[in-house]
Amino acid sequence: MLFDNVPYGLPSYIFSPKWFYGFDSIIESVAVIVSILLVYYSYKCFKLTHENRYLYFSTAFLSLTFAFLAKIIGTLAIYKPKITRSAVGSSIHETFNTLTPSYINAVAFVVFIFFMLLGFMILFLIISRLTWKNQRILALLVYFVFLATWISTIHYQLFYVTTFVLLSLITYSYYRNYQEIKSVNARFVLFAFSIILISQAFFIFIIYSRTVYVLAELIQLLGFIYLLIPFVLIFKKKPKKHKLVK
Amino acid sequence: MSEKRRGKLEIIADILRSIQSKNGRIKPTHLLYKSNLSHAKLKEYIDVLMKKGMIEEKQEKGKKMFLMKELGYKFLLEFERIKEFSDSFGL
Repeated sequence: MLFDNVPYGLPSYIFSPKWFYGFDSIIESVAVIVSILLVYYSYKCFKLTHENRYLYFSTAFLSLTFAFLAKIIGTLAIYKPKITRSAVGSSIHETFNTLTPSYINAVAFVVFIFFMLLGFMILFLIISRLTWKNQRILALLVYFVFLATWISTIHYQLFYVTTFVLLSLITYSYYRNYQEIKSVNARFVLFAFSIILISQAFFIFIIYSRTVYVLAELIQLLGFIYLLIPFVLIFKKKPKKHKLVK
Repeated sequence: MSEKRRGKLEIIADILRSIQSKNGRIKPTHLLYKSNLSHAKLKEYIDVLMKKGMIEEKQEKGKKMFLMKELGYKFLLEFERIKEFSDSFGL
């Protein structure tokens, strides 16, 4: 559904069928939780080891966290206009009375696109083991993120095509990583990104059917649950039994 | 092709693993052999590990031994977790 009267010609989109309103936000919340856990642990690794690769990984998932939060805010603004009628909501609404639900949705959609592309781009750079010293390539890729964000706000399908391409490259790198490591956790990570990749393929076609949106969201949920499994397995790892020598 | 150089944390983990593999106590000569470090370098690392409270030095039957402490085991576990995380996520 496309809402009109949005400033700067920004589009405002809702693709969910009415019965699914709010469920997609719950799914996005799961993605936020998984992303925050990865941000937290990779940042902890960075603090312990002082190795930048953990910091970049943390930044990539922080970017994805912002993206999903923006999508939650954007969709809830449309789903729950009653929020503005609550005590806190009305005071905020009076302060920012120009902020219509469509306006919030439109801005949130742009923020969502930008951080999603940025997050996957950083992840692609880390996984592909490209050197961060080549600043001209990095500048070009950042420009590409801005360009893709701009064009995606006009032709939103391009956004999902771009994330699909980025995720294809990331998934291929994880396939190579699994071939090299051959561990259960590396396999889970490969599955997770493969499933998220499939969800992006579904997202490309959401304009044709609202059921496709529901399917895409459910597949994405499955992908993030798979991403959580290796994380949990690593933390379930018990210390080897030992006796302290006196 | 030559193997990748070990980082400081990996060297520490290798030293602790060597002690762990000998049931938590090891002779200095064995440690020198197992850690694949020069005598001077090993001494540097041993000093750090003792200062951090991960290992301790004791005399047993007149012979010097290095003993692993609880903090050493905790470090090894955390190191293994980080390594597993790093390998799984292709870092």
